[in-house]
Amino acid sequence: MTIKTGDQESPEDSTSRADPKPSVKSPPPPETPAAVQTRFRVIAAFWAVIIFLGFPIWWKTTSIYRASLPIEEMVDWAGGKPFWQACRPVFPLDIHLATPSMQSADAQHLLRTTQHTLDDLNEFAAHHLRLKLANDSASDYGEGDLGADASGEVADTALTVRLLPQENLLGPRSELHAAATQLDVFYPPNQVPAPSSWNSPLSTYIAEELQGLYGEEKATIAHILHTAGLASTSPQLAEDISRRLRRSMKYAETYHLSFSLFTPGSRPSSWDIEAAVNEYVSPLLKALSPISDFTVDTQVQLYANFAPTAPKPEFDESEAAWTLKKEDLSAFVNAAEWPLNPSIGSGPTINFILYVPEPSQSPLIVKENRASSWIVPQWGGVFLLNPTLSNDKTGESNPAHLSQDSLGPAFMTFSHQLLTLLGTPSTPASLPLRLQTSIRVRAATLLLSASSTMGSLASLTESLPSIPIPATVATSVSTTLSHLSSTCSHLREGRFGAALASARVAETEAERSFFEKSMVGQVYFPDEHKVAVYLPLLGPIGVPLVVGLLKEIKRIIAGRKAKRAAAS
Amino acid sequence: MSTTPSSRNTMKDRGIVVFGAAFVLRLLLTCLFPALPDLLTGRVEVSTPVNSFKRLQEGLFLYTRNVSPYDGGVYHQAPLLLPLFALLPDAKSSPLPTAIFYFLVDLLNAYALLKISQSGQSVKSRLHTAVRQHVRWDGVSVAAWFLFNPFTIATCLARSTSVFTTSGILFAVSNAVGGNSVNAMLALGFASYLSLYPTLLFIPLVLLCYDIRAQGPNPPKIGLYVVQHAGLLLASIAGLLGLSCLITGNFWEFISATYGFHLLVPDLTPNVGLWWYFFIEMFDSFREFFLGVFWLHLASYVGGFTVRFQRQPLFVITSLLGVFAVFKPYPSISDASLFFAMLPLYRHLFPLMRYTFFAVSAILYSSLLGPAFYHLWVYAGSGNANFFYAITLVWSLGISILLADAVFAALRDEWEQQNPDQKGAEVRQV
Repeated sequence: MTIKTGDQESPEDSTSRADPKPSVKSPPPPETPAAVQTRFRVIAAFWAVIIFLGFPIWWKTTSIYRASLPIEEMVDWAGGKPFWQACRPVFPLDIHLATPSMQSADAQHLLRTTQHTLDDLNEFAAHHLRLKLANDSASDYGEGDLGADASGEVADTALTVRLLPQENLLGPRSELHAAATQLDVFYPPNQVPAPSSWNSPLSTYIAEELQGLYGEEKATIAHILHTAGLASTSPQLAEDISRRLRRSMKYAETYHLSFSLFTPGSRPSSWDIEAAVNEYVSPLLKALSPISDFTVDTQVQLYANFAPTAPKPEFDESEAAWTLKKEDLSAFVNAAEWPLNPSIGSGPTINFILYVPEPSQSPLIVKENRASSWIVPQWGGVFLLNPTLSNDKTGESNPAHLSQDSLGPAFMTFSHQLLTLLGTPSTPASLPLRLQTSIRVRAATLLLSASSTMGSLASLTESLPSIPIPATVATSVSTTLSHLSSTCSHLREGRFGAALASARVAETEAERSFFEKSMVGQVYFPDEHKVAVYLPLLGPIGVPLVVGLLKEIKRIIAGRKAKRAAAS
Repeated sequence: MSTTPSSRNTMKDRGIVVFGAAFVLRLLLTCLFPALPDLLTGRVEVSTPVNSFKRLQEGLFLYTRNVSPYDGGVYHQAPLLLPLFALLPDAKSSPLPTAIFYFLVDLLNAYALLKISQSGQSVKSRLHTAVRQHVRWDGVSVAAWFLFNPFTIATCLARSTSVFTTSGILFAVSNAVGGNSVNAMLALGFASYLSLYPTLLFIPLVLLCYDIRAQGPNPPKIGLYVVQHAGLLLASIAGLLGLSCLITGNFWEFISATYGFHLLVPDLTPNVGLWWYFFIEMFDSFREFFLGVFWLHLASYVGGFTVRFQRQPLFVITSLLGVFAVFKPYPSISDASLFFAMLPLYRHLFPLMRYTFFAVSAILYSSLLGPAFYHLWVYAGSGNANFFYAITLVWSLGISILLADAVFAALRDEWEQQNPDQKGAEVRQV
């Protein structure tokens, strides 16, 4: 409608009205050549604007910029399963064998036989253990460095096995350090394998021990890489692994940890949270820093009631405690009223709730197993803290302040829950070893995820030729691809820390390129819709312009013909 | 025109009466209804993001506190207005000085209009003499039409900064018809500096100047004349931009906050124009393209009108002002009031116009229903954006019809002048 009104005043119409015929009896005077000339100029003026300004603007603003992407390489990375054409991830773990009290030749022989046995036992070629003799046995074992030397050219040492002779032993015996990447193997001196034999109880023992240590990791990686199940993986272990993967959070560059103290009454109203976090959580976060970044925030919420629909705790005479049924635990967190921030900034939040029941319901425990804590899968953990009640004239009451000591058990539990939520395997017992496993598992996950994102992006850009591809996407893609290949080469050389660092960059860049906002704007915009965009406005404007142009051309042609006829 | 001294004196007296009455009327409105200026300032029909007095106050607040006025993203007007208004007392505590300043600007605009009317360019230019050249109003009546137009009064009371653009345009024209082409270019430079779109008036204005100049002895070559004046216009704009740069310090920030804002239309607050609704609905990826289309549409009339009416450049300016009132990015009723101010100069065309009744009723209808529908949509919540948009369509339709009718009448006038025997003949479209 607006366009119509605009056109009514457009000069072509006006010029066509410029020669009105007064009546039939007296024919209108013929148009003067000057009037014809003027009309021609008017039409030319409009078309000049369209051709010299309109078309360049149309071309400039509606052309779709598509940066060229290395489609083939991207498809190679995503490749068909079971494995990629571009990279075959392998996990060679370097294990140092420290033999302080053994002849070098003996040690070499033991190494060879053990490696042989290991290779025999191993059935998942991508993940294998490489034994090496620790040449300077006194140096670096004991420190779980977790691949801190990411840039180093040397492969990370996964584990140091120290062989210690001990008298009065019937068979070899091992001991894993809980806080270090070190396995002490005690053996009776007489079991050192003879140079002639290819098999000895000691080497078999070491091989089996190592196999046991890395069994879960191997199964997990096989699971992630979708290799056919390992024959040796027991159904029990497979179940454990998939359960753990279900429970753990999706990988994120940054996690937000939120520690909350909830209590239904007015006390306790303060807690030694800073000291507790420094004491129990910070060291763990430092150890986890190669895997993800963490932020910590805390809150205290008083008068936090259960949801009205949630089942109330019941008093159990036999336990002399208030109990919650196991099946009711899912309703424990009052998600509607408790101010638990679903996410702070980008990245998921892991919630840890410390719940102090009111004195009339203390102590509060879980009915079935007398536990006081549980994990909410992919969300966080809950701990029921039953502090010693103090008696004063108003009756029993909670302490007003929770000291660091009373928070100790809760925060030990929280750090354990954090490890579980991050998908750290439950075995072996040594924490550094578990974190190393975590690094490898994460690297494998990210490698897989980033390369499949690349594949999706490649097929997206190929199947939708109308979407724009900004230059930033091309940059992100090339960064991703280079980091993917460096991840792969780091993995091949056993530098898992560096591999994870590269994989993290690759994943971030891959996500950024895939979720680039300006790309998806036109996804649901097929070419046919352009008619609907252009016609309503440009149609009404264009018709008089085109008709005017055609009339002028006709007139010019007729004039030429008449001239030619007159000439001949 | 033969005016005896006595009639000149009566005209002078009438002029004083009209100007005085206009001033008193505005003063009375301000004093009797102290809330009226602020009410009008907040109306979307009067205040757009590029001329709102409220936004000017915000810019002024930042400016007087030595913060860049464009920091808040609210102020989009030219920086030279700031030192000017900083001289006036605060409009919040003592509104009268500012109001009187605006009244005086209005009277000056009316005076410029009076000058234009008195020059007689609208009926008799160098190359064209209207057939009904004696059917006309004198300058005082034309000024009265402007001064007592409710749209002008509303704009003035709302203290919209469009009145300065109006002054720039009217003084450019009045200087042009008075033969002072240098001042005309300076005034047009001022208007362009404030609102960007008056630049489009350059070609008809320079033709107007040339017409006046060519009536004198040894006229210069037209090409050279146009280039000289283009240089003059550019120099005046450059000078004003340089001054602004001294005030704001950051050249690009100021350019993008003012002219960038005019060109890219990022603020889609409803107004009486056609752009806001269209760009709310537009797909993002086509936004730039249609911005180009809209601006080109606006600009394309310049060439066509100028070619067609090259013998009466003042009429080109008038009709372009009508086009701007409908199709510019942030139109307000002040643009319409400028168009309505120029139309009475063409009193001799009125007998040739055919749809005046329809146009006037459409304009009245929309000016009465527009505020009502806006209220229904925004405050009562019982309507939606389409209510108000429909009214703005009617408003644009009304002005467009008036404009098209005036253009038709002018064409008819030219034709009658060429074919005197056909005068008064019945019109039939073929």
